Amino acid sequence: MSKTLVVRGAADQWSVRIQPAVLRICLALAALLCLSALVSLSLGSYPTTMPQIFQALSGAENLHGIRLILLEIRLPRILMAILAGGALGLAGLLLQGLVQNPLASPDVVGITSGASAAAVFTLWVTDSAGGTPLLVPAAIAGALAVTVLLVMLSWRGGVSPTRLVLIGVGLAAGLSAVTTLILVVSPDATAMSAYIWLTGSLYAARWSDIFGLAPVVIGGLAVAIAVARDLDLHALGSDLALALGSNLNRQRLVHLLLAVVLAGGAVAYAGALGFIGLLAPHMARRIIRTGHMGLTLISPMLGGLILVWADLAGRVLFIPRDLPAGLFVAGVGAPFFVYLLYRLRRKS
Amino acid sequence: MIHPTRPPGQTSPMALLFVLGITFLGFMPAGVAGIVTVDHALGVATLETQPERVVSLYQGATDTAVALGIKPVGMVESWTEKPMYQYLRAYLSDVRMLGLETQPDLEGIALLDPDLIVAARNRHLAIFPLLDQIAPTVVIDDVYEFKPLLSLMAKATGKKEQGLCLLEHWQARTLDFQSRIRKKLGSAWPTEVAILSFRADHARIYYGGFARSVLEELGFLAPAPHRQKGWGIKLTSEESIPAMDAETIFLFMEDDPAVQRTYRRWSAHPLWQNLKAVQAGEVYPVDPITWNMGAGILAANLMLDDLYRHYRLRDPLPEVLDAC
Repeated sequence: MSKTLVVRGAADQWSVRIQPAVLRICLALAALLCLSALVSLSLGSYPTTMPQIFQALSGAENLHGIRLILLEIRLPRILMAILAGGALGLAGLLLQGLVQNPLASPDVVGITSGASAAAVFTLWVTDSAGGTPLLVPAAIAGALAVTVLLVMLSWRGGVSPTRLVLIGVGLAAGLSAVTTLILVVSPDATAMSAYIWLTGSLYAARWSDIFGLAPVVIGGLAVAIAVARDLDLHALGSDLALALGSNLNRQRLVHLLLAVVLAGGAVAYAGALGFIGLLAPHMARRIIRTGHMGLTLISPMLGGLILVWADLAGRVLFIPRDLPAGLFVAGVGAPFFVYLLYRLRRKS
Repeated sequence: MIHPTRPPGQTSPMALLFVLGITFLGFMPAGVAGIVTVDHALGVATLETQPERVVSLYQGATDTAVALGIKPVGMVESWTEKPMYQYLRAYLSDVRMLGLETQPDLEGIALLDPDLIVAARNRHLAIFPLLDQIAPTVVIDDVYEFKPLLSLMAKATGKKEQGLCLLEHWQARTLDFQSRIRKKLGSAWPTEVAILSFRADHARIYYGGFARSVLEELGFLAPAPHRQKGWGIKLTSEESIPAMDAETIFLFMEDDPAVQRTYRRWSAHPLWQNLKAVQAGEVYPVDPITWNMGAGILAANLMLDDLYRHYRLRDPLPEVLDAC
């Protein structure tokens, strides 16, 4: 333990502990993420070669068309995959720590359903199969509204994780009924756009989207790093955590709010992507077992990696059709989910 | 895949800029030839030369391009009869396919290096800024507005004469149809018609959309309960059959076993047998592509051909592509 690096705030309001081994893993994953981004940047229905890419990126004038494709079509999409995947991975980790259940994720407690219902409602009301600027604020508002409702309904002198999950599942079911109802009354093209959104797609991600989501994800990650030590205490069980001086209720609310902001933001821009919030934290736990600081850093990177590859698959496997990334996330996610349930059953 | 317009949007700053631009142009010396500015649903497009490489991003624009004598360099795939509707195939060999109308292949569009892109607000609003970076893009407000689309594309492609010819031909045909059907039906004209569609798991009544707009222009009426805003309604229970009633029913459905099953089930229902149109033998299946999905001037003319045939009227005017 002597090798652990520790950074502390003045009054010990926060502290960050990290082991060199974890740091090495982080660097390796970051390198892998950059490499994946480069691979994704070089592939698409417009054929581009690596030398062309470097020339275009270094500003060669004669490659206007390629610069447009790289900088305005592919790069924003890749960055959006990293940001949205990262936000969902981190939100999943926070929620799993909060409810002490490995099956928790933003879609289970109703956050995604709230955003989805609001988004589909907005598409229907504005009759926009082509998207609308109102979609992002509506989805964020939907996610927040559901969370407020969730906390209000499950509050009984404090936040009980079990009540939170049960009420969350109930809200999610009710909201998905609302979503289905709206889809039934929508015209075909609007319903088709809504389905794409509900699957989760990074199609036509733009720089303005990146600038909207990046502050949320970076800020959320900073706060998550600062409070990661609380999750280590919560993992000991609520009695022991209370005895050791955790303000459980306040910390649980902070984690919940953080998860909502991250997941709500990601879902607003990238659509109702499922499974990343579930998958990324579990993959992170396979890689390291040394507490939540490392997991907080690694989960978002894994989330980003999953989404970068899922989006690449959706973009290039069926050219000229652009399939939603959510399809491929679910393709990997669903079998993993079943495997997880199977293992849980065998353990108990 | 047609649905009706929204209430008109507010005046955009771009529209204001356009007006200012026009005012300014008045002071410019003549002779800046070759530059055309086209006002469209999302702003103003400036075209420096007469476009030769046109990309069409929805069905109606592809139909209209063919009518104007333009072979697009890229187009999106059709909803049925993939990759493109039969009635357009002869004119569109070797056109690059750009995926689905709702999310076209952006890189594919850029690869074609077009000089004009035709899009629709209620399909491509989110990608319009990207499209406009690739090439000047003109946008129609709603995919079923076939006449404004024809004027817009004729102006943008410098084919104003051809566009005018098509519009005048259409005008002449509608007037001819109206005078003939008035004579034929006498006091029964104008007649009330319902537009229905059957799907695998439900039936629909169309209150708006392409077919309704054409029928309205020809003078047909909608039954009073169908005179509503919105594209129409999806019916999931046979109990709603009485809502379909009219003097005449036009219905279209896809050639799919599941759809045919729905139709057989609904049309065998006692309530269906009670409908005015059914008892009078006035129920007519029509082509879903020309009546609902084509959404261009050619589809409108094919629809009118159907109506001439259906009411056994003489159709004296030449076919649209022979006339223009």
